[in-house]
Amino acid sequence: MSTQARTARLAVNQLRQRLPLDGPAIDRFIERFGCPIIEGERATFLYRGDVDEVWVRHRVVGLPDPLPLKRIGESDLWAVTTVLPEGSRVEYQIEIRKGDQYERFNDPLNPRLAHSPMGSSSVCAAIGYRVPDWVAFDPEARPGTLVEEQIRSKALRRDQPVQIYLPARFNRAQRYPLLVVHDGTDFLEFAAMKTVLDNLIHRLDVDPLVAVFVPPRDRLKEYPNHAPHARFIARELVPLLTQRLPLFDTPEARCLMGSSFGGIASLSTAVRYPGYFGSLMLQSASLVFTDIGFDHGGGPAFDPVVKFVNRFREKPSAVVDRIFMTCGVYEPLITPNRSMVPVFRHTGMKVRYTEARDGHNWENWRDRLGDGLSWIFPGPQKFVYE
Amino acid sequence: MTTILLGPQRFTTTVGATVRALDVDGPIAMVNSGWEERESDDAELAGHLDGRGVNLRLYRRAFELLRADHGLRAVVLDHRSRHDELRAFYGLRLQSAWDTVFSVRHRTSRHGIGEGAERSALQALRDVDDWYAYEVARLVEQTAATDAFRGSAALATQRAEIAGLLASSAAVVVAGGHVGLLMETLRLFAVSFPASTPVVAWSAGAMAVCDPVVLFHDFAPHGITAPEVHDRGMGRVRGLVPLPHARRRLDLDDRERMAVFAARFPAHRLVPLDAGTVIRLGPGSTDADGRAVVPEGTRVLTTAGTVVTEGAA
Repeated sequence: MSTQARTARLAVNQLRQRLPLDGPAIDRFIERFGCPIIEGERATFLYRGDVDEVWVRHRVVGLPDPLPLKRIGESDLWAVTTVLPEGSRVEYQIEIRKGDQYERFNDPLNPRLAHSPMGSSSVCAAIGYRVPDWVAFDPEARPGTLVEEQIRSKALRRDQPVQIYLPARFNRAQRYPLLVVHDGTDFLEFAAMKTVLDNLIHRLDVDPLVAVFVPPRDRLKEYPNHAPHARFIARELVPLLTQRLPLFDTPEARCLMGSSFGGIASLSTAVRYPGYFGSLMLQSASLVFTDIGFDHGGGPAFDPVVKFVNRFREKPSAVVDRIFMTCGVYEPLITPNRSMVPVFRHTGMKVRYTEARDGHNWENWRDRLGDGLSWIFPGPQKFVYE
Repeated sequence: MTTILLGPQRFTTTVGATVRALDVDGPIAMVNSGWEERESDDAELAGHLDGRGVNLRLYRRAFELLRADHGLRAVVLDHRSRHDELRAFYGLRLQSAWDTVFSVRHRTSRHGIGEGAERSALQALRDVDDWYAYEVARLVEQTAATDAFRGSAALATQRAEIAGLLASSAAVVVAGGHVGLLMETLRLFAVSFPASTPVVAWSAGAMAVCDPVVLFHDFAPHGITAPEVHDRGMGRVRGLVPLPHARRRLDLDDRERMAVFAARFPAHRLVPLDAGTVIRLGPGSTDADGRAVVPEGTRVLTTAGTVVTEGAA
């Protein structure tokens, strides 16, 4: 079928052929198709209201932002259709202008929301996207426990709160690997990480492990290559947990993970303590660098990041055995992440790199946990024959 | 000596009929420590045994014993730690040796070098298995020789109690589950099934009564993809490697992979145990070397990479 024929058959275009539209006809249309309307690899966004202009606001690299909607006839229904490849997932909001007043909010016609520390967004899931089945609560999966603690840190000069995850059936006669999670509170809240761990361990995809969820206090200061933070993780937190819990006391059984700036915190900690951690899980890490000069375009917050990544690129070294890297193809960090894969590999570190048709957001990072954790700490599937 | 190996029992339950067909009187010892903390959830299994089941509770006994006897616990933890490390090194060597066999097979040979190279690569793979098996055996011996093991009165009491229960049992059933933990508890309590007592075993239980215990899962998301020797089994059945859930866990359509798997264990028959499988190894079911001779009708994985039925024309 030609592109023209496909476009003509879109629901919104068929609606356009029935102009003029009255209110009940629009009601029926929205009720029937919902919003956004996914037809093959096309998504049609709708807005209904008495406004002067409407846009879809998003952060998808490659699509125009803002993406203007057009009024259909003389009605109060606005629409725009864009390409959305199979498996994509996009977070967006609606922006309107009425006179000289601008307003931005979640799509009132779309009940599907994603949450993050910055608030919520509407979600447009393309054909072929599915939430992994290990994300939802599974009553069959035995739950692990979360223990809240304050750890006195000389390095950070404060009491650092952490949450320690002990897997179901935690047994002091066993030994466990350790996963250190940057932005720990957010991973628990916005990536359902406790439920995900419970499920992946229950399914034998991931080895029973102890995870420590560490929230930052001043993220922009502590995460981009900050010596006190690295010292806290490597010289205070991990030794303390190893002393108190039945953990494997080997680098192979220690993994640092983080997303965005948390990825930089993970990598920079490993660089400061090479060989102490066996693996890294870097999700959409802010691996911004410059090849010449220092004009990176990321703003002052990225200055220490760029300094750190540039220095690493000048003298790359193997600081862990294995790195699991993932990045969304719709986020600006896709190019730096792709560029760093060969740099890491060249040092001899084993790198598994995956991309997703998603953006810089928590549900993307949540959806990649199964692949990453089962690669870093493979579960005991080979042992169980019921 | 009668040993009957069954396919998985979750959906096609044959253990009850199999035990009844043994026509024995008296209690039936149940070993299901592979179920770990679900060991005590044995009502359904006991029901299949017409209420004659006596659970040896090996998992529970081990748990309580190690909680009370700190010396023994330290030795067991040390053993696990050493075994884990050994497995990690074995995994590295094994995966390379396994991948090499396929690389060699795929390489074009214009001067007849390929065949010898493949034989040698396969032997290198077996050598890695042999090295690991030797080191495991050494580790087991070292652990058994520790004072904590030899001098533990509590362990001796438990072992004697279990031996007594087995001696008074008319038959033994060994269930599936976590084969590593099953083997660990069997070894901790030095469990030995009397030769005259029939044993019915399935899934992980079937793996445990044979020798060696070979782990496999062609569809696991990550980790060592090659089949792995894990441990010596009990050796009640020799020369046979059971493959529970073969249809689900083995990529049987990949003939080359299956052929290499079978060729890796030339002294063993690799026997898929899928739902409904019954392999009865009665008195006289061994050859002159004591290796199991599988009865006609048994499905066997061959070095051609196919599963054939023994005795079929």
